[in-house]
Parts: sequence; C-alpha cells; structure tokens
Amino acid sequence: MKRTSVKIVVAGGFGTGKTTLVRSISEIDPLTTEEVLTEASVGVDDLAGLEDKHSTTVALDFGRITINHEVVLYLFGTPGQDRFWFMWDELAQGAVGAIVLIDTRRLDSSFAAIDYFERRKIPFLVAVNMFHGERVYTEEEIRGALHLSAEAPLLWTDARNRESVRETLVRLVRHALSRLPDTEPVG
Amino acid sequence: MTYWSGDEDELGKLVPLYVLVGGRTTPRNTTLDLATQIIAYPADTAALEPQYRQIVLSCGDWVSIAEVAAHLGRPLTVVKILVDVLLEQGLLAIGAPAQQTVVNRGLLETLLDGLQRL
Ligand SMILES: Nc1nc2c(ncn2[C@@H]2O[C@H](COP(=O)(O)OP(=O)(O)O)[C@@H](O)[C@H]2O)c(=O)[nH]1
Ligand SMILES: [Mg+2]
Repeated sequence: MKRTSVKIVVAGGFGTGKTTLVRSISEIDPLTTEEVLTEASVGVDDLAGLEDKHSTTVALDFGRITINHEVVLYLFGTPGQDRFWFMWDELAQGAVGAIVLIDTRRLDSSFAAIDYFERRKIPFLVAVNMFHGERVYTEEEIRGALHLSAEAPLLWTDARNRESVRETLVRLVRHALSRLPDTEPVG
Repeated sequence: MTYWSGDEDELGKLVPLYVLVGGRTTPRNTTLDLATQIIAYPADTAALEPQYRQIVLSCGDWVSIAEVAAHLGRPLTVVKILVDVLLEQGLLAIGAPAQQTVVNRGLLETLLDGLQRL
C-alpha cells in the first residue's frame, strides 16, 4: 500500500472547541497553515509580490495521528464559516467524515456546518461539547433545535479529554462504515 | 461517495491568490491536497534555490503538504506549486492523493483499529 493520508474535518462555530479537541488527541502540537485568498483572480508575479496585494489570510489548525506505517490521519479544524467555503471544499474532499462541535448556548453557530455536510452527503456526527460538565438539554431537544436527521449520530464529548475525543472519533469511523454500500465485498 | 457541486449563491466569494512561482500559477499535478504525503529522495540540494531547498530539507521523512507549509510559514498554494516543481524534477516522491483516496471498508477498518489501540 502507498503511504496514505486520511482526513477528518472538525467543524462548528467559533469557540465551540475545535482547536481544543484537535490538541487533546494530536501526536504533534497542533500546527497552523495559511492560505492567501483574494476576492477575484488577482495575480502576483512571484512570491515577493504577495504582500502588496489585497488579500485575506485564512488560517486553519490541524493535528496528526499516526495509525500505522502506511496510514496517517489528519484532523483539520475548519476556518470561520461563510467566507471560506473554498477551504472547506479542500478539507472535505475525500474526507472520511466530520465532527460538528456544538455549544448548546449558541446552537445557531453550528447550523452552517451541519448544512454543509448534509448537502454533500459526507458522514458526520454532532458532538455536544460539555463546557459545563453537565447535560443541560436532552438529545431530543437538541436534535429538534438543529433539525438533525435521525441518521446523524449525536453524542456528548469533552473536547479537553483525550479519551472522550478518541471515543468520538471511533463513533465517527463506525458511522462512516455503516454508510458504505452493502454490496461492497467485506475484506 | 458523491459530492454536492454547490449552488452559485452559496459559493464563497474568496478564491486562492494566483501566485506565479517557477513559471506556474497552479500545480500541474491537480491531485495535490493539503494532506498529501511527500518525502524527499536523497539528493544534493546545494544547487537548489532557497525556497526549493527548504522544502526538500523539511521532508526527510513522510510529511503532509500542510505540515511543510506550516513549518515554512508559506501559503498552501505556494507550497503546492513548489512541491509540484520538485516532483517533476524527481526530487520528491508522493503518497496516495488524499482527495482521491477511496474511503473503502479496508481503510476505515484500519482506521478504527488504530483509533481503538491509541
Ligand atoms: N470548560 C470547557 N472549556 C472548553 C472546552 N472546550 C473548549 N473550551 C474553551 O473554550 C474556548 C474556545 O475553544 P477553542 O478550542 O479555541 O474553540 P474553536 O474556536 O472552535 O477552535 C477556549 O478558551 C477553550 O479553552 C470544554 O470542553 N470545556
Ligand atoms: Mg480554533
């Protein structure tokens, strides 16, 4: 097998715990990579011309988990929503699935992420980050407020806790497995 | 797996800045993804221009394009183009393209196993 990387996207509104979750489980200190974006197809002649142009820098953090000698998993936190769909597409293309983190005090900040993965039929689960250490709402209440389809798992997680994050990733991969077509030969 | 192609009104307004590096503004190898794995072949890097040498020196072992970009503090698009040039020159080798990795049962089970053993 060729050296293979797999991606899991960690999405959700600002302050929902994306960076914290990646930090809890990554084998490296989370890294930040940047993309330079522009409103239109503005070009520069070479690397040195970059600074002069009207542009926006979007940063995304990511972590890494080595699975074995051939397979390495990357966890990418999504950059802010709305303006950066281009980066979301790059993250989501070929991804195993996505964790959408939510903060029950600000459910609406994660609507766009849920919508994004639903529309693209990318396996995702909703992880309620337990900021308060207690469950303020029931699963039914949260599902209702998010208009979440029955198919998407919903669970509670603690983004600061490695074991909790590991369990969340396991649930996501199981969910992705359950979404494979039955016709595929087992092996 | 199928991907939604996107509605016009939902498309982001922002696109990557086109930067001309080594005569190109986009990588010719369109499968380069930020998670794509690269590794340097042993070679004498002394003759390389600094921006290329930095890349070769930063991938002595398998590493993703995103990690190289983060370590060098350069935008992803720029690093993709530099990597593309180095691939053509035979200085780097590449793993399976992440965007085209078939998320099949075997790969998911390997992943599940690995996560359960963590
Ligand atoms: N109490 C508590 N605080 C958390 C938890 N997860 C994140 N935080 C805090 O919430 C803030 C935002 O988290 P961050 O990971 O930066 O959110 P991001 O914007 O989604 O990347 C930080 O100050 C974290 O320390 C959690 O599970 N419990
Ligand atoms: Mg963050």
